[in-house]
Amino acid sequence: MAEQPFTTPVEDTVPKLDGEVAVGEDLDFQRRWWKFERIIWSVFLIVIVCDLLGMFGHGWLAKAKVRAPDGSLTIEYERIERANTPSTMTLHIGPNAIRDGHVKVFVSDSIVQSLGAQRVAPQPAESVIGQGGILYTFLTTTGPAEIQIQLQPVLPGPHSFRIQIPNSPAIEASVFVMP
Amino acid sequence: METLVRAVIGYFILLVAVRVLKRRAGSQMTLFEFVLIFLMGGVIILATVGQDRSVVNCTCAVIAVAMIHRALAWAKSKSPRIGALIDGTPLVLIRQGAWQDEAMRRMAIRPGDVAAAARAQGITSLHDVDYAILERNGGISIIKKL
Amino acid sequence: MEIALWTICRAAFGYFFLVLIVRVVGRRPGRQLTPFEFVLIFYLGGLTLTGMVGNEASLVNAVCQILTIALCHYGLSWLRLRSDIAARVLDGVPLILLGEGGWRTQTLSKMMIQDDDVMDVARDQGIRDLSEIRLAVLESFGQINVMPRSKADGEGGA
Repeated sequence: MAEQPFTTPVEDTVPKLDGEVAVGEDLDFQRRWWKFERIIWSVFLIVIVCDLLGMFGHGWLAKAKVRAPDGSLTIEYERIERANTPSTMTLHIGPNAIRDGHVKVFVSDSIVQSLGAQRVAPQPAESVIGQGGILYTFLTTTGPAEIQIQLQPVLPGPHSFRIQIPNSPAIEASVFVMP
Repeated sequence: METLVRAVIGYFILLVAVRVLKRRAGSQMTLFEFVLIFLMGGVIILATVGQDRSVVNCTCAVIAVAMIHRALAWAKSKSPRIGALIDGTPLVLIRQGAWQDEAMRRMAIRPGDVAAAARAQGITSLHDVDYAILERNGGISIIKKL
Repeated sequence: MEIALWTICRAAFGYFFLVLIVRVVGRRPGRQLTPFEFVLIFYLGGLTLTGMVGNEASLVNAVCQILTIALCHYGLSWLRLRSDIAARVLDGVPLILLGEGGWRTQTLSKMMIQDDDVMDVARDQGIRDLSEIRLAVLESFGQINVMPRSKADGEGGA
């Protein structure tokens, strides 16, 4: 003999329409839901506008340009980056940084590690590691000169970096990486 | 910014592509149609997102597509012409027992397809069919003779 | 270690975000998805998955994210079963479109449905025109169900 299945008597829990057809409508809840939907669509609109303005990276609000006080170095970078996405940081070298046809640039480790430098264009003539960073040496003629570092950050979060021409004030800034 | 523009363009490209593939008679999606959908969708997705595969970017693209879809739905509800443009209109295939040859030819439907739809409602002979209508989503509705 | 945690977070976020989007975008009422809706589903899902996966195309990554999604889905299903409020939030409630008093205009306009759509479904059941419909209900999953007047009360109807 098989076991009796568990049963519960059929109760009238589904709200009825006109006392007859069991529809289960709940207009109160639905009205609140419609209000919630309006809010959600406004939130979506705000998100899109923020994205267009660049608050999530790669836009107008995110671009930043920092200049060392003595004019030796100007950095163009993005204040807000996106993870796993390539982006370019440009270093403009001022004429007072060039000595004997070389320019030396010190970049902190965070540029290579957490900000994920992929490529330095042009290729430096020499790279010396130490003191928490890398000292690149580039061959130069006369200014203006530009160096480009291709970045691809890996982890989200705030990261700071430091770039300096030796014997000149350093530029320190931080970048926030969005997921 | 480009991602958003590409997302919107991608949406319309898909819309046009689906409309242009003729409305297939019969409500079942065949395997080939699934494959086509996969193909078209996949290509557009890669083109929309490009190199930037961050959560932020993809989320914004999804939101953009959702907003466009909703906006079109609202426009369809306000203007029947836009609805007809985007979705198409129902088309009569059999009218009072008589075949509408031009409609059948243009939509590339064979009498066998209509018969199959009739069988789904338990009607065995096409002589019992008063009206047969090709709906916007590709299904065929059958109305029996009284 | 952080990257692993981060991958799981992305997968969970992608899942819940998709749940929200599908719930909020809504669909054309009808028994089946139209071909464009299939394509749209794939488009939305594909965009979300690209964000989830990013550039990490390893097998381990894929397995972890799939397991995360499965767990989230299981959790959500359990929640839907246990809590009435959760069920209403996640699925929606049935809504009456056409009742004894006539068309429910607020419902129709908010859900962006026209009488054409109700007639579509009615024709499916062999009903000829609107006067033969007793009750039309928009189910929570988008389908419209139409109840015809039986021949008995057809004469004395509203």
